[in-house]
Amino acid sequence: MSPEIRAMQEAMERHGYIAEAPIATAVFLAREMRKPLLIEGDAGVGKTEVAKVLARLLDTELIRLQCYEGLDVSTALYEWDYPRQMLRVRMAEQAGSDPSQIEEVIFSRAYLLERPLLSAITRREGPPVLLVDEVDRADDGFEAFLLEILSDFQVTIPELGTIRAEHVPYVVLTSNRSREIGDALRRRCLYLYIEHPSLEKEVRIIRSRVPGASERLAEQIGRFLQALRRRKLLKSPGVSETIDWAQALLHLHRDQLDPETVEQTLGCLLKDRHDLGDLTAAELASLVGEAQIAEAPAR
Amino acid sequence: MSSEDLIVHLARFAGALRERGVPASLSDEVDAATALTLVDLSDREEVRQTLRIALKIRKRDAEAFDLLFDIFWGTRRAGAAPIDPAARRSPDRARPLQRFGGAPGGGSPETDAESGGGDADVPGYSPEALLRRKPFEECTESDLAAMERLLARLALRLATRRSRRLVPTRARGAVDPRRSFRRALATDGEFLRLARRARAVEEPRLVVLCDTSGSMDSHTRFLLCFLLSLKRAARSTEIFVFNTALTRLTPWLSHGRIASTLERVAAGVPDWSGGTRIGESLAQFVDSHLDEMVGAKTVVLIVSDGLDRGDTAVLSRAMRAIRSRAKRVIWLNPLLGDPRYEPTARGMEAALPFVDLLAPAHNLESLERLIPQLRFGGGPCGPMNPLAA
Repeated sequence: MSPEIRAMQEAMERHGYIAEAPIATAVFLAREMRKPLLIEGDAGVGKTEVAKVLARLLDTELIRLQCYEGLDVSTALYEWDYPRQMLRVRMAEQAGSDPSQIEEVIFSRAYLLERPLLSAITRREGPPVLLVDEVDRADDGFEAFLLEILSDFQVTIPELGTIRAEHVPYVVLTSNRSREIGDALRRRCLYLYIEHPSLEKEVRIIRSRVPGASERLAEQIGRFLQALRRRKLLKSPGVSETIDWAQALLHLHRDQLDPETVEQTLGCLLKDRHDLGDLTAAELASLVGEAQIAEAPAR
Repeated sequence: MSSEDLIVHLARFAGALRERGVPASLSDEVDAATALTLVDLSDREEVRQTLRIALKIRKRDAEAFDLLFDIFWGTRRAGAAPIDPAARRSPDRARPLQRFGGAPGGGSPETDAESGGGDADVPGYSPEALLRRKPFEECTESDLAAMERLLARLALRLATRRSRRLVPTRARGAVDPRRSFRRALATDGEFLRLARRARAVEEPRLVVLCDTSGSMDSHTRFLLCFLLSLKRAARSTEIFVFNTALTRLTPWLSHGRIASTLERVAAGVPDWSGGTRIGESLAQFVDSHLDEMVGAKTVVLIVSDGLDRGDTAVLSRAMRAIRSRAKRVIWLNPLLGDPRYEPTARGMEAALPFVDLLAPAHNLESLERLIPQLRFGGGPCGPMNPLAA
């Protein structure tokens, strides 16, 4: 492994993200090539976290744009502050000012509400990290618009003219693959698919994120999750669920798994009625057994 | 290896990927070339990861990528210089590709290399075109996976129709003067917030009745796949399956992956792949669901080969009841793909008078042509109907 990538991996770990080689490589390349990074993977594998850790690592601001269906330019880019403009006009009228002057005033930067995309390119203190979260939820039209921003990093506001990026931001896009991301957008980016973590990595994550968990508990949780994911589930639990669960078990003062506790807290992991219903008590017990027995020879 | 050799090699590799239907465009190659300058070329795993990231290899293409990577970038050679298939040797290395049905009739190494380079601006669309016409019963397991993806994309087109109706919207849209003025009254005549309106998206309302009996077996998986994708595009879609009895699938289909849903369904439906009683099943539908589910805007889609073992009188009565309420009744028959087929099966004959459109459903292309017909409003049912003449 090249020293730069190893350094990246270590830096990410220092900032609380345990990154396997592919993740560290992708983040390294995205930073060096100054290209947006498109991250896909199941829910809860830590896609958003990559952007957060990148911001911490570069010691810069994280600007987040959460996508949703019907997201439009006025919530993503900019909007004029209509009420303030209106008040300004009223005040000017009473003072008897020149109308053309008023227009110049109310269509200035002071009356512009910056939304995430615009603030990402106008930030003066160095490049920020721009996180475009769940880009698959926005509609195709928005994707095309995003493409334009990501290639030029400039925005044209009719009343103001063109605003160019002070610094080109680091961009991270995430997608849950609820729909296919267009080829054009994909091509503009580097691409990373994050898998569910391996047992070893998951245990390390639990240990680092839930420091109160004992090594034994962390390992049992990790084994249980690995076994659970091998089953055919509608919604496989991600790392974020694992962490929630570990915290829940800690609050219940458990330091190892037992079938009863697991059954009571299963809602932390399985969030689908069918998945919960499909898991019988006997199967649960065998999963718990698997988590415990596998550990015995290692002791 | 010199950087020029590396680029040539990379181009060949990308060409081979395209031949296998993995999209890798020229701009991806440029990214990959840039990325390779940044990493440790002697670390094969790192090169693999770098290429995956820079060429944007999706999860589903990962297997094909790994296979080709091993061929092109040397397999078991650890240490010093793993990527050293010198330009002279690499054509030989590329040759195993022909096994995958790559370059047709590619003879000498030179022509292989050239065809790889010549394809640079042609993304791998041809496999898709072939898939569209391949009859379902001839498909292999890997075709299935590719088709499932095509189907999903196809079904999405369904929901993109915008009606002409303008409805109030919180998001973008044209200014709605009437509501804006009205709103302004509340703020003493000031237009603090403009009301907007946009064209409504209309989801088609669909009720699907799908035959899962033994005679339909080779088609069922696909058709269900297609139906599941439809359900995703138009959420109000209701899906029933029938063989000897009717089962409402909709509650089973909440969400999740298509493959696991199919397994769930096959396990839960009584008499899957058994015999058929189309008439009785449809009658059951009429009795218990017709009123609540089928209205003047609903398109009813029946998928069956019409090979019925039941009473045809029951069938025509049920069809009449459905026809009387639905906007349109479409019958999809996989057997219709065969030019020699005539709808003489007894069940088909009995149902035909009440069917607005009889269409084939034996390959992707036929399903693709069906989409506009399913949209709310539909089109004239002339050209597609083989019985219209």
